[in-house]
Amino acid sequence: MLLSFENVSLHYSPGHKVLDDVSFTLEDAGFYFLTGPSGAGKSTLLRLIYQSEQPSKGKIRLFGEWLSGKSRARQADLRRRMGIVFQDFRLIPHLTAWENAALPLRLGDSSEAYIQRHSRELLEWVGLGKRLDAYPTELSGGEQQRVAIARAVVARPRLLLADEPTGNVDDHTALKLFHLFDELNKLGTAVILATHQNHLVESFCKPALHLQGGRLVSFTPKAA
Amino acid sequence: MPLPRHLFAPAFRARHLGRSFAFIVGIMVFIATFATAAESALLSLGYNWGQTMESRITVEIPAAGDESTMPQAQRVEQATTLLHAMPGIGTVKPLSDSDVKRLLKPWFDDPSLFKALPLPTLLDVSRQPGATVTAAQIRDNLKNAVPDARVDDHGAWTRDAWRLMHGLTLLGGVTIALAGVTLLITVGMTCGTVAASEHETISLLHVLGADDHDIARHFQAQTERLAVRAAAVAFALALAITGGLMYATRHIADYSALSLLHWVSLAAVLCLIPLCAVGLSTAATRFSVLRLLKSFP
Repeated sequence: MLLSFENVSLHYSPGHKVLDDVSFTLEDAGFYFLTGPSGAGKSTLLRLIYQSEQPSKGKIRLFGEWLSGKSRARQADLRRRMGIVFQDFRLIPHLTAWENAALPLRLGDSSEAYIQRHSRELLEWVGLGKRLDAYPTELSGGEQQRVAIARAVVARPRLLLADEPTGNVDDHTALKLFHLFDELNKLGTAVILATHQNHLVESFCKPALHLQGGRLVSFTPKAA
Repeated sequence: MPLPRHLFAPAFRARHLGRSFAFIVGIMVFIATFATAAESALLSLGYNWGQTMESRITVEIPAAGDESTMPQAQRVEQATTLLHAMPGIGTVKPLSDSDVKRLLKPWFDDPSLFKALPLPTLLDVSRQPGATVTAAQIRDNLKNAVPDARVDDHGAWTRDAWRLMHGLTLLGGVTIALAGVTLLITVGMTCGTVAASEHETISLLHVLGADDHDIARHFQAQTERLAVRAAAVAFALALAITGGLMYATRHIADYSALSLLHWVSLAAVLCLIPLCAVGLSTAATRFSVLRLLKSFP
């Protein structure tokens, strides 16, 4: 079992629930879409998984461990087993594409030679082999997106979380990115991909969790 | 592997935070080095000088107004004999006429006056090591043979000088302690400002799996580089100025009176100052950053 939510709710103020009594279980190495309109709670649910937020109620279990009451060191250890692609990329502006992509490896105990080789290879894989030393401001939105993806997968995570990774690109590029995530999934990485582009989701035969107004309204184990 | 060296560089560059940090470390090292060197030199010179002075007593045999009573030479000889016989007295040495004239020279401009005036004879008396013989005991011993002899114990006023020196030492210690406290406060404030302006980067590092110690270690390395450079420059400058001052005051302070052991221990203490400043600033960085990071999710 990869992840389970048990009656998870999150509210910032008493009358305003961002997530309301959400429960589901996801299996290891699966590919899951997280769908719903803007403001449905998709990003919040992802933030709960990478522990940037704590649930107001309910319990979350990740990689077989309950997340509540974890020490900060253990929290960091769990986060190292995840890769995250943010909607706004969150690249560090004064680091080059290569330095950004290599960051997660520098938090582990990889050798400098491995970091150099592996992160460069990965940037080449996402088609940025010639832009290694470019700063984020010198890259287009699509290129920044690919650096963010390279950074998310460079440390071979067990789980990849992607928050609206196709929000800033056209449908054709979005499909290519979805195929990229699919390839990663085939290599053994579980993927949870949040998107509001339902028409793209439908073209993939993958399970989807549909959120609306903070509630999980449907969980199709296998899309039609 | 460490995080990229320049990860937080923009925050340290912003508003010259890095430069201000280095400047404060430099000033603290300069003050502490200068205060320690000056205090140590002063204290050691005072100690050497005090030791010599405290073991000495001056006995003044005034020139006899009426030589027919007893010639001056005989009075001096009698006093010398009595003093030699006293337990605890080491040497008794009359000062030569030329020495007496040299001592009186600031008050008598005209050399012919020395011939006209009856000059007293001064006896330089030393106590044996550990002896407790006092000026009053000497005065008592001489009162029958040379009733007008005056006894001057240098220990009385060297004790006042000692009190002053100890006060200065305390002041030096307080200055060094204040320098350390200022350093700690500055480091805390700098780290707080840098961490606030790098909030986004720190949050990202957390999400990528960095634990608080990874981030604190990176901050520590950054401040260590700044502190090492600043401490080295300030230390060299303080030593140069102290050396210059010692050279300029060599006529009034006999630094050759200080032993080799003293110079070696002073050098060791001085070398510890920049090391302590770097250690203190990096430890304070780690502590401040770890404390700040606890507020991050």
